[in-house]
Amino acid sequence: MDIRLKALLKSLWVYHLSTGSCNNCDIEVLDCLTPRYDIERFGMLPAGSIKHADLLLITGSCNRQSVARMKRLYEQVPRPCFVVAIGECALSRGMFIHSYNCPQPLDRIIPVDVYIPGCPPKPEAIIAGMVKLLEKVKKK
Amino acid sequence: MTREEILAGIRTRFGEDIIDFFDKSPKRVYIEIRPEAIVRVGTYIFSDLGARFNTASGVDSRTTIEILYHFTLEDINLLISIRVKLDRSQPEIDSLTPCLEAANWVEREMHELLGIDFRGHPDLRRLLLPDQWPEGVYPLRQDYQEWDEEAVRDRGV
Repeated sequence: MDIRLKALLKSLWVYHLSTGSCNNCDIEVLDCLTPRYDIERFGMLPAGSIKHADLLLITGSCNRQSVARMKRLYEQVPRPCFVVAIGECALSRGMFIHSYNCPQPLDRIIPVDVYIPGCPPKPEAIIAGMVKLLEKVKKK
Repeated sequence: MTREEILAGIRTRFGEDIIDFFDKSPKRVYIEIRPEAIVRVGTYIFSDLGARFNTASGVDSRTTIEILYHFTLEDINLLISIRVKLDRSQPEIDSLTPCLEAANWVEREMHELLGIDFRGHPDLRRLLLPDQWPEGVYPLRQDYQEWDEEAVRDRGV
């Protein structure tokens, strides 16, 4: 296993980005960080800057204005990095699929490693997704 | 002033400009006026009656383009909605921004999304749409057609 990936396993720092979500997924992500769900036991901490992050959590339906910002952020993540799509909007744009402002789904714009469906996904679902991501990294 | 005094005052002052007066509920009144009178009616309600300008909303209703200007009189708990109907082929109306600064951004938004031209607006730039959006395409019009050839409109299943 790549030494950089091995170092990543115990301390995945996450950066949370909303590309036009309704905030429900963001609330569930915040719930994961509280002591009740305590995602920190997997070594995950929210990073204040994208340059400190290993993991990009993306919620929302990728509207035209935020896609440009999202691409700019994705260019700045230190490699290796992973992208997690959270919620139906980030997966397939949900009910906004015919909106003039949401032309493309997230995985047509940047590569996505883990998809967590739900509207919004429960914190348990987010934790399950993160564990799957860790297992995926271990296999690499 | 009471609710009745205020409504009677609006009626007598703008009698010939009012097309329709709909007293919906104790908290809500819809007044349809001629588009030419919007600056006079808006400044009277805002400055003389001391109402708060909540927002304005534009609707494309296939036959006309409507704008609703919502004013709140907080001390008597009354929401006055001023309705104007504009010609769909060339929607134009005087801007409220010179006398009512809060109308600035919402008029810019209606301009880009519905294509309403606000005469006398100081700065009618785009507010929300991206720069690569084509000129003359208004997404909230009923006859909006998809222009983006790269758009994906299926879920891939």
